[in-house]
Amino acid sequence: MSTSKIDRLVKMINQISLNMSSNGSQEQVSVEVSEHLTKFWSPPMKSLISDYADDENIGLTPISRMAVTHLAALQSLK
Amino acid sequence: MLEFYEPQADFGTPESDSETMITLSIDGVNVTVPEGSSVMRAASESGIKIPRLCATDSLKSFGSCRICLVEIEGRRGFPASCTTTVEEGMEVKTQSDDIGKLRRNVMELYISDHPLDCLTCPTNGDCELQDTAGEVGLRSVRYGFEGDNHLVAEKDESNPYFTFDPSKCIVCSRCVRACEETQGTFALTIDGRGFESKVSAGQDEAFMDSDCVSCGACVDACPTATLTEKSIIDAGKPEHSVVTTCAYCGVGCSFKAEMKGNEVVRMTPYKDGKANEGHACVKGRFAFGYATHKDRITVPMIRDSIDDPWQEVSWEEAVSFTAKRFKEIQANHGRTSIGAISSSRCTNEEVYLVQKMVRTGFGNNNIDTCARVCHSPTGFGLKTTLGESAGTQTFASVAKADVIIVMGANPTEAHPVFGSRLKRRLREGAKLIVIDPRQIELVSAPHIRSDYHLPVRPGTNVTVLNALAHVIVSEGLQAHDYIAERCDTEEFSKWTKFISDERHSPEETEQFSGVPALDLRAAARLYAQGGNGAIFYGLGVTEHSQGSTAVMAIANLAMLTGNIGREGVGVNPLRGQNNVQGSCDMGSFPHELPGYRHISSKETRHLFEGEWGVTLDPEPGLRIPNMFDAAIDGEFRGLYCQGEDIAQSDPNTQHVEAALTALECLVVQDIFLNETAKFAHVFLPGASFLEKDGTFTNAERRISRVRKAMPPLSGKADWEGTMALANALGCNFQYGHPSEIMDEIARLTPTFNGVSYKKLDQLGSIQWPCNDHTPAGTPVMHVDEFVRGKGFFAITEYVPTEERANRKFPLLLTTGRILSQYNVGAQTRRTSNSQWHDEDTLEIHPHDAEERGISHGDWVGIQSRVGETVLHADVTSRVKPGVVYTTFHHPVSGANVITTDNSDWATNCPEYKVTAVQISKVTAPSSWQARQKSFNAKQQDLLAKARQ
Repeated sequence: MSTSKIDRLVKMINQISLNMSSNGSQEQVSVEVSEHLTKFWSPPMKSLISDYADDENIGLTPISRMAVTHLAALQSLK
Repeated sequence: MLEFYEPQADFGTPESDSETMITLSIDGVNVTVPEGSSVMRAASESGIKIPRLCATDSLKSFGSCRICLVEIEGRRGFPASCTTTVEEGMEVKTQSDDIGKLRRNVMELYISDHPLDCLTCPTNGDCELQDTAGEVGLRSVRYGFEGDNHLVAEKDESNPYFTFDPSKCIVCSRCVRACEETQGTFALTIDGRGFESKVSAGQDEAFMDSDCVSCGACVDACPTATLTEKSIIDAGKPEHSVVTTCAYCGVGCSFKAEMKGNEVVRMTPYKDGKANEGHACVKGRFAFGYATHKDRITVPMIRDSIDDPWQEVSWEEAVSFTAKRFKEIQANHGRTSIGAISSSRCTNEEVYLVQKMVRTGFGNNNIDTCARVCHSPTGFGLKTTLGESAGTQTFASVAKADVIIVMGANPTEAHPVFGSRLKRRLREGAKLIVIDPRQIELVSAPHIRSDYHLPVRPGTNVTVLNALAHVIVSEGLQAHDYIAERCDTEEFSKWTKFISDERHSPEETEQFSGVPALDLRAAARLYAQGGNGAIFYGLGVTEHSQGSTAVMAIANLAMLTGNIGREGVGVNPLRGQNNVQGSCDMGSFPHELPGYRHISSKETRHLFEGEWGVTLDPEPGLRIPNMFDAAIDGEFRGLYCQGEDIAQSDPNTQHVEAALTALECLVVQDIFLNETAKFAHVFLPGASFLEKDGTFTNAERRISRVRKAMPPLSGKADWEGTMALANALGCNFQYGHPSEIMDEIARLTPTFNGVSYKKLDQLGSIQWPCNDHTPAGTPVMHVDEFVRGKGFFAITEYVPTEERANRKFPLLLTTGRILSQYNVGAQTRRTSNSQWHDEDTLEIHPHDAEERGISHGDWVGIQSRVGETVLHADVTSRVKPGVVYTTFHHPVSGANVITTDNSDWATNCPEYKVTAVQISKVTAPSSWQARQKSFNAKQQDLLAKARQ
């Protein structure tokens, strides 16, 4: 996986999280962000970011990290 | 609907919309018409034509020609029937010896100063003066032709599309009134008095030097050959016509394509077209010559590499070459390694078929459409807040608006026919708030001045919208009852808390937006308290990193003030291309099936799977920017691109070019070898809108028929090309006519259930939803409740774009359109419209220009973080200091070489409207422009070799 590829996804998620940041508590927002990713992202994008769910060094904001964790959990159920 | 050529019916004066009916007698026949109708109109409606010259039903009655005189029982003299309104019990005589004599006398005077060259006149057989002379029985002219006259007056042929021959003018003022009433430009006037009276463009200038915008309203209104289309002068009178829909902007004007055989000789705005009601603009009315331009490619072509010459082949060979390549790519790189981009310039049926081919033939959801780069935030924002991804009104609804907000749109340039409607309402007294970084025409035009112009700094729309809402809430101006009844009150409470925060006050947001707080407060009060409030917005709202937030903020404002659900109000996205609404409706996004139903819905998938006989992938596919990234990463290798020029229109051109170059098989279906096709391996010749049947859906959700006026030059309409490719990939598409595709759409899409070609022919057009509940369509949406049930007030936090001006890039570039050119210019650049705009220029404020030593007309380099291009400078105060502006109609301009990859957080709609740049005086084109020139020359050479 190229670094730029994961960087792009991180940038996108952080942007989504930031724009939703006032929608509620961090937990609520992270759920909304993960729902947004589920709804609009293609499977390879979801799969790639889920692979990094435990990686603290890819630049995800706290809400984004929580969202990715939710997403990874959903992905693992599939 | 092929018809032998007949001029469109003209009732003489406009229709009255009164519901009170009046009965009168005309020539002994009882006639019942609405109160306020003229006697002339009443007579016309009962089948009696009163001769006339200065009257036409698109203009208010004027009463100058004195031909339409009648007798009315109990009244003295001979009143003009055009200016006399009907009264109960009135008894009118339209014919008598005295009337006949008077009419002949008047006619005699007209004809004594008119060239008697009828047999060689271009409007012979289509001339109201000629007809009227016949109707009044003129047989001789007693005054002779030797006296003073205007027969040697000089012709003005400056306009590329029509001539002005004053020797044939009868000074009826129809052209002047059309320019005022219909178009709203006020470019024409009657100069002089008495015998010296003459029609004059501007200050007695040539038409091309005047303010004339070439809409053609004057030409339509002219009853003689004074204003005549050059195409008619060249080709003669049409012999049949076909009613169809314009393929330019999202207004979706209805036209009669007037034909001689298979040649279009004139496009006449169709009076029964509900989007335009007989009006047009310079593009739809005149710029149709591209359809038969010498650059059209009408034979399929293939090549192994973009460095190879093209090879002309049969349709069968091109389709089988493509199918083989696509199958190989999928075999080697997986099912999701190919995809398609459909076009908002194509018909509903065509875009439906492309997404169906992707979902059933490619076996994935990698389908996206050019709406990704324009109005995808509209779809997201309006669906979230109101429940439907569409505008709420008809265009005609603006006639009942009291306060109009125009935000990030420039209707007089980009949606000119709607712009004329808007201007008419403003002249009647409606108030106007313009929110735009530029001083667009509506800010100050003849007889129009905006009440407030809020010159927002690019990228800060959300702060302005939030501040407007803040003022309304903090001053208690919201529509309490409406919100309580129609909206989700729990969410509203949350939102009220959010918006009431002081950070959204105009005094706080001024530092970001540059909009003076006092003006903003006044504008908010006006919108909330001024009666019917209507918001019209465009790409200046959507094409931002917060585009979706801004759309939701607009919907919030409308709900907050109770301005949704009736005529005269609403949220109205002005769509850029002719079928943006339709392409979105037809399931062209990678996450949605037709009718905006998410692909993850099992129930919806089962419906389509039952009809299509395949299993559908339940996961979303790639969006256009994802496709580009995946292509560069080597994961996406095959693309079918129909009717779009992504190499010119999408942002960060060098990134797009790298993606296209990385593809193993790029298939372009288009009418020209556009910029994208220069990277292609297969070229499938497209059909212009004149060569196919189908439907377009305009910005008011109005579905209108596109009718074939001539056979496809390549032998196939676009839907037939797609069908051939789909079948070569293993599908079984068996459509004999696009009406069968529409029948399938109707079967599968609840909002289209009641739509059919038969009904479209009966009703003329239909605004969806059209189903059992609304069989004639839905002009105004959300009347009793919102589509989603309760209106949702979305939290609209302002998140600044990452694209910031700094010392290195101190100015903000924003982009837009101009009247004469359209989108990437592929069509309009191949017409005489280029006489108005033959290059894109950079608008820069005099202060910024002076600081850099730049004068008007200088070559300037525009450098952003991603690229550089060079344009001529247009030093103007239309832009404010700190902001520069350009258009993107010419490929060589490279406007998108400088726009960035930044995009809307929710939809990835590119942020075309905000790019930090530096401007400097230069002497040579940019390195990209030099490369583009060389690449273009090489590709043109490879094309020429194929055509030899």
